[in-house]
Amino acid sequence: MSGALVRLEGAAIGYGRRPLLQGLDLAVGPGEFLAVVGPNGGGKTTLLRTLLGAHAPVAGRVVRREGLRVGYVPQREHVDTIWPFTAGEVTLMGRVPVLGPWRRPRRADREEARRALSRVGVEHLAEKRFGELSGGQRQRTLIARALVADPELLALDEPTSGMDPAAELGLMDLLRELQRNGALTIVMVSHRLEAVANYARALAFVDKDRRLFRVGSLDEMLRPDALGALYGRAVAVREEAGRRLVYPLSSNGEEVLP
Amino acid sequence: MSALQEFLAAREIWQVPLAASVVAGALLGALGVYVVLRRTVFVSAALTQLSTLGLVATLLAEERFHIETEHASEQLLVAITFSVVGALVLGALRSRRLPAEATVGTAWVVSSALVVLGASRLVHAAHDLGGMVFGNAVAVPASDLAVIAGVAVLCTVVHQLFAKELAFTSFDAETAQAVGMRVQVWDSVLFLTIGLAIPVTARALGALPVFAFLTLPAAGALLLGARFRVAFPLAAALGVVAAAGGYVLSWIWELPTGATMVALAAFLAAPAALRRLAR
Repeated sequence: MSGALVRLEGAAIGYGRRPLLQGLDLAVGPGEFLAVVGPNGGGKTTLLRTLLGAHAPVAGRVVRREGLRVGYVPQREHVDTIWPFTAGEVTLMGRVPVLGPWRRPRRADREEARRALSRVGVEHLAEKRFGELSGGQRQRTLIARALVADPELLALDEPTSGMDPAAELGLMDLLRELQRNGALTIVMVSHRLEAVANYARALAFVDKDRRLFRVGSLDEMLRPDALGALYGRAVAVREEAGRRLVYPLSSNGEEVLP
Repeated sequence: MSALQEFLAAREIWQVPLAASVVAGALLGALGVYVVLRRTVFVSAALTQLSTLGLVATLLAEERFHIETEHASEQLLVAITFSVVGALVLGALRSRRLPAEATVGTAWVVSSALVVLGASRLVHAAHDLGGMVFGNAVAVPASDLAVIAGVAVLCTVVHQLFAKELAFTSFDAETAQAVGMRVQVWDSVLFLTIGLAIPVTARALGALPVFAFLTLPAAGALLLGARFRVAFPLAAALGVVAAAGGYVLSWIWELPTGATMVALAAFLAAPAALRRLAR
């Protein structure tokens, strides 16, 4: 894809010199919503961080469009809540790479932070301590921090991890809305296919233990052969009330509720 | 004449050491906010030991190998080198195969053992070393005060100029790196200031108070519920009160200066800790 924001070309991802997965080709184009799905410890985060340039590939190339603005939302559990920052201060941090050294945040930057909090529906929590927020509120604050840099590409690592179903749906709805209204490109990592099957437009299945790396459109990837490669067993996909539900089948052919 | 009147009458003796203690208390108290929040308290302990090891090395070099290091500036330079190199290495540690704590603990215990071994080989300077380790802020030369003040100004300028970068990369290194910030550079800047502050203040106050001032005032300020930006001046103020109050009390009650400062710093942090426990 010539207009890709970021592209892996024959890349091997991993730490140090040890590759987890090799020969990866992937292009993320503007306006895409790509979900990277696979088991925990399967190499999804490494793939995401390699795409962003935070990890160098062990082999091959990562090509990013020059000047690409990136927003990143880490796993919520990775952000230490003992730091006495307010939600507003955490959001304002998103302006740091934009401002560069020497320049201090000004009123306009604070206004941007307030707008970003408003976009994700937690403006009223600006003065509340980050560590005192609920998991969902914290996640929205971290998304606001990513948005405040006006990114073209928003990368999220397990944003719905540990959330109850209602909060998970709320967050996924928010991401879809941001992607549609803000012309954002989204790449998100999730170990739960069920969480992203109704939102992403493209899927990448990643599992280093099975040496699995497969990318395609949602329709291509929700076929039995692709899902079988991910789960290592037969999988049924049903559509109920306009939503796709993915059921891995147990060894005796019974559906396992997602 | 009361003890307090005697103290006031001896102003010429204590004004420089007291000023050095106050500046050191403020500097270490403020830097301690990062030390505590980054959960690197043990790094500061290891750096304090490394700095002491540098001093032992200079004293040994002089006594055993007749290498001239009797000038305070030479001793300080070696202590700074040990501390800064240690700070850059230990501050950059990220958990891979071993937890970072294991490496920091190793640095602390090995440098502590080497200090004891080195000190056991000292003949003439053994007494001086006691003051360096446990604190002897009673006699601080004006030159040491100037160095401490210079380092305090440098650290303040660096932390003012790069406050947002140091805060972001310390709070969430993963995101900072993902959005293109050079986390290792900013970590180095932060630990350079800490690694610089430790040896210059340890010469005046001793290793024990330095470690205490890097921990207790910041812990007290944070337990009081101070927000991030407020925690720095509050921790600095607690450091100043503990340093100055400890100095005066140790003079009046004829107690060891460093230990009195540490006890007062702990006393000042105690109400905040109790308040938090009571919640």
